[in-house]
Amino acid sequence: MWKDSYRVGVELIDEQHFELFKRVSDFTRVIRSNENWEDRLEKVKETMSFMQEYVIVHFDDEEVYQEQINYPDIEKHKAAHAKFREGINEYVELFEKEGLSEEKIQEFGGKLMAWLIMHVGKMDQKIGEYAKSKEGQA
Amino acid sequence: MKVEYINSFYKATKDVFKLMLDIDPERKDLKVLDDMACSREVNVLLGVTGNLKGSVLFGFTKDMALEMIKIMSGMEMDKIDSFASSALGEVGNIIGGNALTNLSENNYICDIVPPQIFVGEYKSFSLASDKGLLLSLDTPIGEFDINVFLKD
Repeated sequence: MWKDSYRVGVELIDEQHFELFKRVSDFTRVIRSNENWEDRLEKVKETMSFMQEYVIVHFDDEEVYQEQINYPDIEKHKAAHAKFREGINEYVELFEKEGLSEEKIQEFGGKLMAWLIMHVGKMDQKIGEYAKSKEGQA
Repeated sequence: MKVEYINSFYKATKDVFKLMLDIDPERKDLKVLDDMACSREVNVLLGVTGNLKGSVLFGFTKDMALEMIKIMSGMEMDKIDSFASSALGEVGNIIGGNALTNLSENNYICDIVPPQIFVGEYKSFSLASDKGLLLSLDTPIGEFDINVFLKD
């Protein structure tokens, strides 16, 4: 899932992105495997709680970095993060209320994969481009 | 129905395909449509509200849709299940979001209604004499269509 072209050029952000892709990739493999659903549930639960925690840490770190470099699109970026967090929380609430059905987990997995690729592959690239352009001016 | 509507969606589609799939779709035929009907097997429908109203439908063959998911996930896919539908819907959503940004540059402020996925032939009749536009695109993994029915 991860491609080198997704690198932003900021070490901390790249490390966290790499970890996010790794987790989402593992998660996708687990939910797509043919093993008994009950046996896969543990991994699914583990990923859900990881995503909830790690996404907050990562988004916070990324936003702090954007503040440090006076990134002009920070508000737009924060709004995209907020929307993603909200999206994860909606699924978490749904899973708490209705339990973890395979159907809904598959739906969540598909969305998560597409969103992560697009967000890191496009929106986050602009942070790197801006940081580089600033270095050029310094 | 202005050509800039379809161009906004075409440009957004091209950008998103390049980024997510490493594919550069090539523009083929542009046709005028009376009704929104798609003979493709996997369809992603986006509703548009705001300064422009109507819908946009992306139609893929099943093989192409599965190949798209395979490229993204790096995993083999053999059916359009809820994982594939949801990923395709999100791709549609992202294209829609980018198209809205393109449209806003022409001072059209719009919103996207969350996408719906239809597996199988899709048919919906437009009201009155509204015409739509169908743009066919070619890629190394197959051909697909963008149907645009929008009015201001």
